[in-house]
Amino acid sequence: MKKITSTIVGILLILGLNAPIHAAAPTDQLKKSLDGVIDVLREQGLDREVRREKIRVLFRERFDFKVMSRRVLARNWKEATPDIQDRFVILFADLLEATYIGRIEEYSDERVDYIKERIKEKRAIINTMIVTKSVEIPINYKLTLTGDKWLVYDVVIEEVSLVRSFRSSYSEIVKKEGFEGLLAKMEDKAEELKSTDGKKKK
Amino acid sequence: MHKHRFFTVITGIFLALAFVLVVVQPTPLWAQETDTTVSGDAASRENKDDFDDDFDDFDDEDEEFVTISDPLEPINRGFFWFNDKLYFYLIKPVTRVYRVVPEKARVSVSNFFSNVFTPIRFANALVQLKFRDAGTELGRLLINSTIGIGGLFDPAKNIYGIRKKSEDFGQTLGHYGIGQGFYLVLPIFGPSSLRDGLGDAVDAYYLNPIYTLDLKDRDKYTLWALDQINALSLDRDTYEAIKRESLDPYVFVRDAYSQNRAGKVRK
Repeated sequence: MKKITSTIVGILLILGLNAPIHAAAPTDQLKKSLDGVIDVLREQGLDREVRREKIRVLFRERFDFKVMSRRVLARNWKEATPDIQDRFVILFADLLEATYIGRIEEYSDERVDYIKERIKEKRAIINTMIVTKSVEIPINYKLTLTGDKWLVYDVVIEEVSLVRSFRSSYSEIVKKEGFEGLLAKMEDKAEELKSTDGKKKK
Repeated sequence: MHKHRFFTVITGIFLALAFVLVVVQPTPLWAQETDTTVSGDAASRENKDDFDDDFDDFDDEDEEFVTISDPLEPINRGFFWFNDKLYFYLIKPVTRVYRVVPEKARVSVSNFFSNVFTPIRFANALVQLKFRDAGTELGRLLINSTIGIGGLFDPAKNIYGIRKKSEDFGQTLGHYGIGQGFYLVLPIFGPSSLRDGLGDAVDAYYLNPIYTLDLKDRDKYTLWALDQINALSLDRDTYEAIKRESLDPYVFVRDAYSQNRAGKVRK
């Protein structure tokens, strides 16, 4: 009996290895990143800065900040000079990272359920549910295929899209204070988040 | 009888406002919204797979999303400021003390209220002709009230995998094509809109057992406050994070509120 089982497993493995080379399913790729983050969060006795750096790496390789930036600025993106665009992408990535890491640390006891995956050409939507002891939060990830990598370009938490939320507030600031005003505000905020982070509890 | 007058007055004010908007305004406010998610075909879309809808927004980069109009912004910002102070100086300290109650017990309190509020979700699902969801709510009520010991536990979800369907009268109005109107920040109650404020008043007055049962006024307010504080105690400082991270928390909350409501209507 044991032999049969191992033979079957062996066959499956070989079949798996011989499968045509294509991009892994978006859910698998996303799951790998999220599992990585959760593992880091659960790792005991890790220095705070080391842990953050690990999460940062995982976070950066799964998000497409350029696509996100373009979508956040929307109409304003085309009006911005390449220099402003570049500065925006860098600042936006910093801000999002600080936001994301700050939030994810609150949920270290979480479990992620993968509920549904839908793919349409080079885009995918993955519905997940963050399950903690006390609450369940639906989070949907929107991804695009770049090369063989599925990269996140929007996160929708309880129906609230990150990109759309940023878009509304940023476009108001651009309207009132121009790009330089927006970039200055983002710089201040990123600075503030970095400095208060260290002082936060724990 | 006192409370009846209170809710009648609130409902009356909203109805009057709604009437003014619908009849007097040449272009209704919701027609000015560029957010297509709350347009009139919401109902017809109900049975369709939402697959394409969810992907559609990829090519909308040129669009500016104005999710909800906010003609009362100066007043709203005033109440937003007021609520912010109320939160940090009163509600948050109270919640912090309340957190001495073990988390499991607080989850049970939350389950209990959720079970008691079933009539709101059931009736609104029914009015929207979502019979399956109405049935789900009824089934959950039966399971959780019995096996779940009066609603303290949620075996319907934890054992049978039957999840709650969020419905309220605001969503019912939205389902039948009525937009959010405009944004409102209510003192104490927080973010709302013309439509959803009216919806909440209708739910509270006609469907919420806490208000429809013959309880003392003081008990009603206590139960309401308990529900709110308990829910807040289970949250992990979302508001603090928003305040810390966004460039304009008022705009962020307004936008998140209207997106969340529009999303719920679509479901």
